[in-house]
Amino acid sequence: MIPALALAIGVALGLFFEPTVPAGLQPYLPIAVVAALDAVFGAVRAQLEGIFDDRVFVVSFVSNVLVAGLVVFLGDKLGVGGQLSTGVVVVLGIRIFSNAAAIRRHIFRA
Amino acid sequence: MSLLVDMMTHTLDESYGEAAARRAGDRAAHPVADGAADDGRTGWRRRAIAVLLLLALGAVTGTAAAQVRKRQAATSGVRAQLVAEVHRRTAASDALARQAARLRREVAAQQDALLRSGTVGSSVARQLSALELAVGVGPVTGPGLVVRLDDAPGGTQTDQARGGQAGAGRVLDRDLQDVANGLWAAGAEAVSINGLRLTTLTAIRSAGEAILVDYRPLTPPYTVRAIGDPRLLEPGFADSATGRRIATYTSLYGLQLAIRRSDKQTLPGAGTPALRLAKPARTAS
Repeated sequence: MIPALALAIGVALGLFFEPTVPAGLQPYLPIAVVAALDAVFGAVRAQLEGIFDDRVFVVSFVSNVLVAGLVVFLGDKLGVGGQLSTGVVVVLGIRIFSNAAAIRRHIFRA
Repeated sequence: MSLLVDMMTHTLDESYGEAAARRAGDRAAHPVADGAADDGRTGWRRRAIAVLLLLALGAVTGTAAAQVRKRQAATSGVRAQLVAEVHRRTAASDALARQAARLRREVAAQQDALLRSGTVGSSVARQLSALELAVGVGPVTGPGLVVRLDDAPGGTQTDQARGGQAGAGRVLDRDLQDVANGLWAAGAEAVSINGLRLTTLTAIRSAGEAILVDYRPLTPPYTVRAIGDPRLLEPGFADSATGRRIATYTSLYGLQLAIRRSDKQTLPGAGTPALRLAKPARTAS
């Protein structure tokens, strides 16, 4: 409950204050969000399966964001940034989808 | 393929399972609630960190969304502004052109009325209309030739031999220049392209993919009207180098060319040429 509330408050803050992001970081925001979402969906699924561990969540969250950002950053430097971010989004998107499916199975038993 | 299969089947971070197994092992090894208080405090701290991370994730998501929205608004706003500006300027330019034409007619009428009142005036008026005819300011009417040029239907491939800039099946500014020159050479006394009279100062050039005549963009088909003796103009143009070249293009590239005689056609007058620096040279001759 509290985590969901924190998420909603964060979204509201970001939309409301529209903090200025350094231009160099702007392309990594969406990737970071997708990577973090993957960690969040994984955590929700683990919670439902009864094996949630906040340490694992924090570590996976931070490392997910950092690795995704790093991969895209490297891709940018090598001139394949667009393709690599597509790859990252595809992989993480698949994971998010299957985790969401697992969550759905847990909640609705269907 | 194993990578993809792995990705599809092991979607949950394995460390969750490992951590759960480790915890179960710890509990089995130390059933005493000795480190329970310590565990509770670090667990609370970790939970706080997790909540903070979620807060940050929400903030970043909101920021990214706001950024995208702002960028879209900026680009679409600029675009709409430019489109509106173009429409406004085009309308203003059209209005000015209409006004200029009206004023020109008015001036001509006034001039006529003024000059026809006296005997000296009427000779000046005759001289003036002759000069206007020669310069191309006044509208003219007479028999002549109509040359209609059009792009090949659906031809868009580029062609190196003809400049390579536009499609081979397109009428280029050079073609129109050559047609105009060919008609002059064949004895035309007045030439217009799509209703724009050619004078000594009319440029035929291209900007991008459009052909400009007198700096006004034209769209195909291009109708070149020339006034002159049709019996001389037609063979003269058709037998000239230009006429033969265009005829070759029609068979090679599919350009459409139609030449017909006209018993009577009217060519509009051009605007008064704006000479800013040129002055008559008064040489003793």
